[in-house]
Amino acid sequence: MKLIAGVDIGNSTTEVCIGAVGEDGAFRFLSSASRMTTGTKGTLPNVLGIKAALEEAMDKINQSLNALDLVRLNEAAPVIGDTAMETITETIITESSMIGHNPSTPAGAGVAVGELLFLENIWKGKPGVPYIVAAASKFSYEEVASRLNQRIPELDIRGLILQADEAVLVGNRLNGQMYGGLAEGHPDKKMPIVDEVRHISKVPEGKTAAIEVALPGTSIRMLSNPYGIATLLNLNAEETKSVTPIAKSLVGKRSAVVIRTPHGNMRENVLPAGEVVFHGEREVRINIDAGADEIMNALGSAGEICDIDGQQDTNVGNMLRRIKTSMADVAKEHEHDSDIRITDILAVDTLAPVEISGSLAGETCMEKAVGIAAMVKTQHLPMQKIAERLEQELHVKAVVAGVEAVMASIGAMTTPGTKLPLAILDMGGGSTDAAVIEADGSVRTTHQAGAGELVSMLIQTELGLHSRTTAEQIKKYPMGKVESLFHMRLENGAMQFFEESIDPRYYGHVVLLSPGEMVKIDEDIPMERILEVRREAKKKVFVRNAIRALKIVAPGNDLRKIPNVVLVGGSAEDFEIPEMLMEALADYRIVCGRGNIRGVEGPRNAVATGLLLSYLS
Amino acid sequence: MVVNRPTIFIYCQEADGDLLQEVCAGIEEEGVLFQVLQHEGDLDTLAYEAANESMLGAGIGMTGKRLAMQMQRLPKGQNVFELNAPAFWQCRNLGANSARAIKKMPFKAVYGEKQ
Repeated sequence: MKLIAGVDIGNSTTEVCIGAVGEDGAFRFLSSASRMTTGTKGTLPNVLGIKAALEEAMDKINQSLNALDLVRLNEAAPVIGDTAMETITETIITESSMIGHNPSTPAGAGVAVGELLFLENIWKGKPGVPYIVAAASKFSYEEVASRLNQRIPELDIRGLILQADEAVLVGNRLNGQMYGGLAEGHPDKKMPIVDEVRHISKVPEGKTAAIEVALPGTSIRMLSNPYGIATLLNLNAEETKSVTPIAKSLVGKRSAVVIRTPHGNMRENVLPAGEVVFHGEREVRINIDAGADEIMNALGSAGEICDIDGQQDTNVGNMLRRIKTSMADVAKEHEHDSDIRITDILAVDTLAPVEISGSLAGETCMEKAVGIAAMVKTQHLPMQKIAERLEQELHVKAVVAGVEAVMASIGAMTTPGTKLPLAILDMGGGSTDAAVIEADGSVRTTHQAGAGELVSMLIQTELGLHSRTTAEQIKKYPMGKVESLFHMRLENGAMQFFEESIDPRYYGHVVLLSPGEMVKIDEDIPMERILEVRREAKKKVFVRNAIRALKIVAPGNDLRKIPNVVLVGGSAEDFEIPEMLMEALADYRIVCGRGNIRGVEGPRNAVATGLLLSYLS
Repeated sequence: MVVNRPTIFIYCQEADGDLLQEVCAGIEEEGVLFQVLQHEGDLDTLAYEAANESMLGAGIGMTGKRLAMQMQRLPKGQNVFELNAPAFWQCRNLGANSARAIKKMPFKAVYGEKQ
């Protein structure tokens, strides 16, 4: 009996599959395993991941690594995917500065305008001048209240900005006369108090400020309206135009402060968005401002692409250059082909939260951005070297055999219910590949930039998450919100109850239901928003790419000529992507579904399985 | 007819006054009502009974410089948070959390370093 391993190195996962050939030539599959790819696909560091995956698979059948007789590596498609994101709009505040956030418990309600005065300087205050007092957290709530109460009859104090989370505490301790008539136009409201302003020392004393606190359950109205700001701060038409970005970024907030700082305390630095240049059969230039759809149309009209780059010293130019630079380590592995060329991109419109220059509490504004996945094509990946290294380390014969797409097709054929001609859509981490096998065995393939990693990046930027890992997990697992210590509301509205109480750390949070444990999302984002962003990101990347890729391989570029599509690869395992594709492809009367390699593996392991099957024939 | 106000109960036995004040401030800032009552019993009992006798379903027990926060229907002794000789900010957040438990909002950090 001979033991043979098939190894498939992908952009993010390395998959292996072990099979045995008996004396009589009969073949059996024994086990499989998958591991993270170590290093960039097609480079020597991959060997580490291959060994780990092989060990795991051999362990499952209680064999040691040196029991292997042969390792077959795939001739990996020489494409490497990478992603980048660039914002194309920018908010810069010049004539004013602002604080806008959602403290959970501001106090009072309404609008107030006055000159900024620090609490420690309150003795300098002059009667008859309206003031907004700012107090640092070194003053306790009792001290703030008593100092204000001392001065209240003579000073006209209209609003309060606090650093600590103590707005309600201070509000409750202010003398009765504060409660009426101080906030202009709202004689029956309490004076507005904004709290949790972290960088209170940056508040410029002596400048005019407008503050607003919304009633519970509503959001601010005056300061989120350019004319509202103009009314409160007496701005002319020109100045009103310059505060529009402030108003825009304050929409939906519970409290806000806008401070007038004339003579432009902030300076702007605008990097032009720039043009993408497609060097193909025709040279096509397109400005990135045009948006993803126009960019993709331009890409299509350029014909076969040999390289893509961007205008120098612009956002997009820098972005594409960064992608090329990050590919440099792969290039070094090639002696004869050191130039890196981008042969395909997928552009996706998105919104990214960007910190506003000129804000005081680290406020962000959702800016228009373009996410780009690029694919770098090289002459030949140094797979032979990996095979040699593997042979040295394992003392097992290792060969490079079979083209990735062909192997994937052979593997996909083991899905019950398939027949030729057959199209596969291999959705991995870095690229989306499509292939069609005709009944006569001829194969057409294509590789498109953009897959799982672009989805993770979109989720991370749109939700403003700190870690990419959280974004990956949001992509992978369904969610629920812990509503009590004994139950949670799942994203589809169902309730799940627990016998044992849930850890209080999860209380009130949105959690991801990964198998075996719950993962808490630290950022305070409503579940509905996460759901929307997650679904949109998947649609933007996979539905667009699937149709784009299948059109290229379809006979006569006509999607209707493809009878059935088998989805394979890591992203086909996703709990909603296959359904989305099924829906989108149903319009073209295509049978489409998640593959089930050898009837047991699900959509994974197609290439590794194909490598073993091709050994037999 | 006895009408109970919707309040968070704080059951105390020889409670430290300064810490208690911080706990109360935490609840007040969240805009929830509370009542401080003298009771007999160990820490777990105080917290457990406070939570179960409050119509809001959250309570705090305090003996000396030890504090525990409880929520209704949790078994006695399985306190949601427990502090021993804490810093002021921890008491403040513990109080805030008893209010947040009712408002179904995520808890503030009670353990570890001040943020």
